Amino acid sequence: MAAPLEVILTSDSGSPLWNSTVFDLHSGSSLLSYRGGNSSARTLVVLRGEFLLSAQLGKNVINVWEIQRKDQLQQKILCPGVVTCLMASPNGLFIAAGVAEAVYLWEVCTGKLLSILSRHYQDVTCLKFTDDSSHFVSGGKDNLALVWSLSSVIQLDLNHAPEPRYVLSRHSLPITDLHCGLMGVQARVATASLDQTVKVWELSSGELLLSVLFDVEIMSVTFDPSEYFLFCGGSDGNIFQVSLCSQSLSRDKSFQSDNDGNQVFKGHRNLVTCLSVSMDGTILASGSHDETVRLWDIQSKQSIRCLTHKGPVTNVVIMTAPANMFLPDTRPAVPLPRFSRHLHASEGDVGDAGEVCVRLGRYTQEEEETYLQKAERLNSLMNAVTDKSVYGDGENTKVRVAELEEEVQTLKKINKDLYDFSSQLLTKPT
Amino acid sequence: MKAKKKKRQDDFQKVKLKVGKKKPKADNATNTNFRTKGIHLSEQLKRDTSGPTTHRQLGINDLLSQLHHYNANVKHSALLGLKELLSLTPSLLEQHLSRLLSEVAAVFTDKDGNVRVAATRVLRFIAQCVPAERVAPFFPLLSAHLSCAMTHIETAIQEDSMKYLDVLLEHYPALLAARPAVLLTNFLELISHRQNSGGAKKAQEVKGTNWALSVSIDRTVTSQQWRLSVLLRLGRFLQAVVEERPVEEGDMSVATEGVFGSTGEGRLKPLFLNWEELTYSKAGVKVYEHSGAKPTPRSSYRLRPEVAPGGAVGENLDSAEAVQSFAATLVPLLLEVWVEASASDSSWNSTDSAHLLTPDAMSVMFQVLSILQLLRKLAPQQEQQESLDAWFRKEYLGDFKQHFMKNFPYGTQDTPKHKKKVDLKRSKQSAAVSAPAVEPLALNITLCQVMVSLGQRQGLSRETDGDWLTLLRTFVRDTLSTGVKLSYRQLHMLLGTVWKMVLTQRSKTLTEDLLAAVYVYYKQKNLTLQTRSLLLSFYSKLYLQEQGHTHLARSKVLCRWLASLPVQLSQLGHRNPFLSERLILSIQAAAARGNKDLLNSLQTQACRLYDPQEGVVVLLPVESQQRMVQLLYFLPKMSQPLLANLSCCCTAGRISAGLAASLIRIIHLRSSLSGWSVGSQEVALQDVDYISFLFSTLTGFSSDKLASLQEAGDESALPCSPLSPLSLYPTPLEQFTHHWDIVEEVCHCLETLGSKSQCFDILQNGICKYLTKLAVVPDSMAAGLLRAVSRLLDLSVLPIEPVLRFLSQCCLSLLALLITLQQEAPTETNHKREAIWGACILALSTVPRLLRMVLQLLRVGDLSEEELPQLGQVLSMLLQHTPLHNQLLANTALLQEIIQHLTRYSRTATREQWLTDLLYCYSLTVSHGSSSHRGNMGLQDMY
Repeated sequence: MAAPLEVILTSDSGSPLWNSTVFDLHSGSSLLSYRGGNSSARTLVVLRGEFLLSAQLGKNVINVWEIQRKDQLQQKILCPGVVTCLMASPNGLFIAAGVAEAVYLWEVCTGKLLSILSRHYQDVTCLKFTDDSSHFVSGGKDNLALVWSLSSVIQLDLNHAPEPRYVLSRHSLPITDLHCGLMGVQARVATASLDQTVKVWELSSGELLLSVLFDVEIMSVTFDPSEYFLFCGGSDGNIFQVSLCSQSLSRDKSFQSDNDGNQVFKGHRNLVTCLSVSMDGTILASGSHDETVRLWDIQSKQSIRCLTHKGPVTNVVIMTAPANMFLPDTRPAVPLPRFSRHLHASEGDVGDAGEVCVRLGRYTQEEEETYLQKAERLNSLMNAVTDKSVYGDGENTKVRVAELEEEVQTLKKINKDLYDFSSQLLTKPT
Repeated sequence: MKAKKKKRQDDFQKVKLKVGKKKPKADNATNTNFRTKGIHLSEQLKRDTSGPTTHRQLGINDLLSQLHHYNANVKHSALLGLKELLSLTPSLLEQHLSRLLSEVAAVFTDKDGNVRVAATRVLRFIAQCVPAERVAPFFPLLSAHLSCAMTHIETAIQEDSMKYLDVLLEHYPALLAARPAVLLTNFLELISHRQNSGGAKKAQEVKGTNWALSVSIDRTVTSQQWRLSVLLRLGRFLQAVVEERPVEEGDMSVATEGVFGSTGEGRLKPLFLNWEELTYSKAGVKVYEHSGAKPTPRSSYRLRPEVAPGGAVGENLDSAEAVQSFAATLVPLLLEVWVEASASDSSWNSTDSAHLLTPDAMSVMFQVLSILQLLRKLAPQQEQQESLDAWFRKEYLGDFKQHFMKNFPYGTQDTPKHKKKVDLKRSKQSAAVSAPAVEPLALNITLCQVMVSLGQRQGLSRETDGDWLTLLRTFVRDTLSTGVKLSYRQLHMLLGTVWKMVLTQRSKTLTEDLLAAVYVYYKQKNLTLQTRSLLLSFYSKLYLQEQGHTHLARSKVLCRWLASLPVQLSQLGHRNPFLSERLILSIQAAAARGNKDLLNSLQTQACRLYDPQEGVVVLLPVESQQRMVQLLYFLPKMSQPLLANLSCCCTAGRISAGLAASLIRIIHLRSSLSGWSVGSQEVALQDVDYISFLFSTLTGFSSDKLASLQEAGDESALPCSPLSPLSLYPTPLEQFTHHWDIVEEVCHCLETLGSKSQCFDILQNGICKYLTKLAVVPDSMAAGLLRAVSRLLDLSVLPIEPVLRFLSQCCLSLLALLITLQQEAPTETNHKREAIWGACILALSTVPRLLRMVLQLLRVGDLSEEELPQLGQVLSMLLQHTPLHNQLLANTALLQEIIQHLTRYSRTATREQWLTDLLYCYSLTVSHGSSSHRGNMGLQDMY
């Protein structure tokens, strides 16, 4: 069997045997299960495709597995309090965890605790990184969502408490979930709250773009990858789909009986706590307190599959399958260091090691230029392609065609040789 | 020949004049013996038919051409005519705007004063009619003429140019402010002259003080008044420039500039949508047309550094350097003006009363200070403003201290009234200048504001700042706490000063001191709404600042203020919804931050706030109600009386069903049974309390009300009969639907509690204990109970007997009510009927025992004659409902008995329609049942 491309990683809070389970996205068959305790909500994280991290339910411990060793814990990270949310940066360099009112930020390669951000007034409920790992957003029970620039947070300047780049303060009740779209700093952030609204913000300016008021509290929210749709999981078990850029083609509309893609996925009977959309935007996975994970076909809004669990579902993530998840013999490229519990503990312990501290601050601070350069490069690339296809001179193409034909010939010859060799091998009487 | 000669001589005969004789008249002499009179062509005989005319029949072309006339009177009358014509036919204005403006503007520099005055009037008239965007293309011309007038060599024209400027400032401030550079120089030249005398030039340029105040003798007003009038305009002009700036969001500028509550609105206009609208409306959502791929201009991410426009730095006031260089020229002049004003007073005053000023001097000083203040605000961006402040401090702090603070709390001087004549003259002059009278309080407050902005942020050089800041602080404190009447604007400025002091001083005791003074003012009884909300927003903004300022975090005054908010809210009641809204917002902000004092106070006040009769939650408008409901989430503990109140709020119908539903859900979230908990938040209410809350909300009537219903007897409730064993109290339609919605929500909450069977157990205990004894039951309650029971019942659980009996009675009574409602059949009860029918049917089909009991209750013998048809209808309705068939078939014997009785009792009369229907339905059901049982045989039987 070929290894699946995308898998669903789920966990629930009641199962006595498994902490978290990996399912195949398309067949729904259970592939792997990780043992040991139960994960609390919004804490199940895969780091660099090599480690699985999750916070133990009700304890101040983060469990770490190597992704291919499902039976054994690699490490337990002790935290100063119960972890309410956990997130690893997509580039695998940092881990952020919400502990009570504070956000703890570790550097993965050294295990150092880089900073403790206590800007929230009440418990932090959710954390998300942007896909370029340059920023992260934290939402809390104090109705605030804060946008942090990673480079400003990990500055070594100790006199200045790091300040969030933006404070998103338009919610009137605790924030339950947030989702950060793609495109780095130009991403859009969706926040869901108990005040029955979902708000979409622009990360780059901190401005509110859209606010949708629902009839029920919204417990989870996500975008599809192209950000055409916003999915909002309600406290009554419905999942609401808001179309963000509806095409106003009138000729289609007159024949449409339903209304514009603003529709409801019905099936869950209790709070929908987590949502995730597959890479191609066709399948939505939702986890609920009614102890099921459901997979939905987004186009037709039907439940494709229902995976029952033993307790309220705490995490559902659709992700690309890490390369060595199904190869039991592999080892992580770099082992995980021990994570320290205190700020600057390293100074006391390994002061003599003479280590060099390398920060990525400079790189991330100059992102403005890199964006521009990227755009220019892309532009020149595109121009080059069109130039070549449209204005390519005949001489050049002829040479090229000749080259390619030659290549094909060689490949054919190799293939033939290979075939002969193997047929010889097979037909040879043993 | 001789004769010929003689003849010729005749032609040229010499006239001989003789002495004493009259000189004969010459033949060609003109008779000047007539008199002339001028002909005034005041009206044109020939009507100008091409367009409308004035009463003198002059068209607009004539009038405009007359403006070029050499005679001042003609020009004057032409201007008057223009005004008349334009006011008669405004459409002319649009057609001839460009010519009008250019011609009228040209006469601003006319030599004759009357012409200028008339021209200003015409301009004012035009300005009133034409919006700014239509004047914009002609504005360069207008401003060129304005500059021309301002720099004119004749002082009279200079003076009148101020009036011209006034008009423009009043109507087109934005256009005027767009190009400030030229005008600023003009202003300077009006009150001063450049000292560029040869060799000294270089040295002076370095110092930047090559301007000196000028004194001209031939003005009609004193030079002080002239300066005042110029400064007044300069102030207005700068104000316009400042207002044109895009408002930068920031604590300081907002605090000093706008109302404290107003956060700078973003450029993007967020979309606010409602899920229901979204589902039903055809209009699509387009989020991304707002933003697109590029970040908005307000983003602080910059793709490339902003290109500094090279030549334009000096032209506009867009950069800090430009402002700074302008300030460097202006401030010394202002200081001179100030010194002059104060010196002119002290000349005839003794030194001990040097702080007493004449009104004139006071207004001059006031203008000086307001211009200084505006100069500060000119800096386009926040950080530049700070650097500008620092620059001011560096350059001028010494001067300011010396001049401004010397006699600081200024007072007004009682002007002696003995010179009547002089006073009269002066008043005339000041009328010409038209400077508003300035109170000493305003002067002092402005001075505070200017000086405080120079205060240093950190306490690095506290010693040097100390003396004058203390002086200011004492003044502010005294002004606030002694209860002096302050206008809104003055209070605003004072609060701005306090804000700045508190944030820059960072000293706990001083902060407490100042805030306490503000609090004294806040506690005054009769403040206007505007003032009150200003103070409120001042405090709440200050509270929101506490993060970065440790000296604020534990401020006692702030805590006291916060703790007093819930009390104020409950006392305010419904009298002022706007103020309540502000209060609730402040409370919400503090509650979200988990402020202990506020939460305690809120908890003690909760019962009053959420009182179902006169609590704030039912009195305020909908938005505030919603916020009040949201506030519930933050309550640390919900006591039983509070829950009782809330339950009443939900059922009483004074808040909408949707809001009541969200109230129930919020309480659900705060109970331990919700399952949503992040981190360690202790539950607000005990499970027992929560369930009893749900139960009493489900019943919809308090025990008192139910008791009174029992006693009230028959006048309101429908009487009980064998067909309807319970006496039903018909609730109004609105209440019924409201209760129905709430029942749905309660059922949902109960369903999610966990074990369904336990939940049902609790419910039936409740029904058994409190409700089974009732004889009069509201129909909404009965329907709600049936609905809840059918939703919660697990097949594994058997309901106990008394509950079943009560429910069956409810069910039968409801069915009977349904029949009567159907007879009335007004369409508006449709929803009610459907709800009742749905509840009954669902209960009957999910609880098989219930159906049996209902059927057992039907004792045909006890029924009266007219109730028989009703029973028949009930039965046929049940029979027609297919999902019930199997259950009914299980009770065939009972059913058959009833029908036999029915047919027997109704034999007396002629066989009626209802009976036929019933028998038909019955036979159909039975045959269908038997057919499904026996297959083909049944079919054969049918045929």
